[in-house]
Amino acid sequence: MSRALQKYLDQVILYTNRKEEDAAKIRVELEDHLRQKITDLQTQGLPREDAIFQAIEDHGTARTVGYSLRKGFALLDVRTQGTARGFIAIGPRAIGIIAFGNVAVGLFAFGNFAFGTLAFGALAIAGLLSLGGISLAPLGAAVGLAAVGRGAYGMIACGGLAVGLRVPWAIDGVSVLNGDNGLQFLQHFRTHEGTVALIAITLSFFLIFPIMNGIMCSLKRNEYLRIEKADPKLVE
Amino acid sequence: MTRLSKQTLDGNVETLILAILEAGPSYGYAIVKELNQRADGILQLGEGTIYPVLYRLEDKKLLAAKWRLAENGRQRKYYRLISKGRKALAANRRQWQILSTVMRKVVGSAEKLSPQPKLKGAML
Repeated sequence: MSRALQKYLDQVILYTNRKEEDAAKIRVELEDHLRQKITDLQTQGLPREDAIFQAIEDHGTARTVGYSLRKGFALLDVRTQGTARGFIAIGPRAIGIIAFGNVAVGLFAFGNFAFGTLAFGALAIAGLLSLGGISLAPLGAAVGLAAVGRGAYGMIACGGLAVGLRVPWAIDGVSVLNGDNGLQFLQHFRTHEGTVALIAITLSFFLIFPIMNGIMCSLKRNEYLRIEKADPKLVE
Repeated sequence: MTRLSKQTLDGNVETLILAILEAGPSYGYAIVKELNQRADGILQLGEGTIYPVLYRLEDKKLLAAKWRLAENGRQRKYYRLISKGRKALAANRRQWQILSTVMRKVVGSAEKLSPQPKLKGAML
């Protein structure tokens, strides 16, 4: 078989990140497809070498095809480009329970733009806790250079940890979330003990960030190394 | 030149594949070829991108697949439309007909559009 074809299939399989048995079946199917295409192109008068490159080009880039053949929602999905989807999703863009990427969406989201229950990032928007340059947590605590959230109502602001805005809709009496609703427990944090507890909780969240960041960076590095090992040219 | 955008195609490729397989069992390359022929060159699929769709249809139990020895001596995976797939195809067809009617009535028929756009192949 042509070396170019062999190399292309190797790369596709590398990006699919499937179990050996599944990968072998996919490879057989794609190889059959490409061989037939090459034969057809040769029949049309193309020289063999040109037919091989044309068939590969028409098939799509190895990365596009390989990534598209990944499982829908894997336990761990790490992508160097595009959107990763998985329980743990790592990529330039990531969607998962734990998401880490340039744009991250998940229960726990870490990234330049992070959206989740707990979000950490340059722009972090979260339901419960957000830490970031611009931090929004309409129902929870927001900590950041500009922080907007329920936290400003009595949690973080009382603890003195928030550096940011205290927005009008979070002020008691104006907020649609104030009064007798389920978030009234936040009033506890207005006491001295509550404030201390809040500081402790917030600091522990601050500790989570570098730890999670380290784990995610390590997983991402492993993926780069795996690809680089197969073909150094594939890693930009 | 007008290109068919990926958004326009998204969600319809499954229906196109089901429609191709309505005629009988087939395999990846033959499906792509048939699709391109029937579309008269307007639709040019990125050939490798058809496989995730086939696997998805198989997972949804709309297609059944079987490995068989091809005439060239290689193992080949054949896909076959099954009962659930036929129902899905019928439902999608009805949906498409309704949408087509609405689009024609609201947007107008292609003949009325001036100047007539030239369609170029769209990549998935």
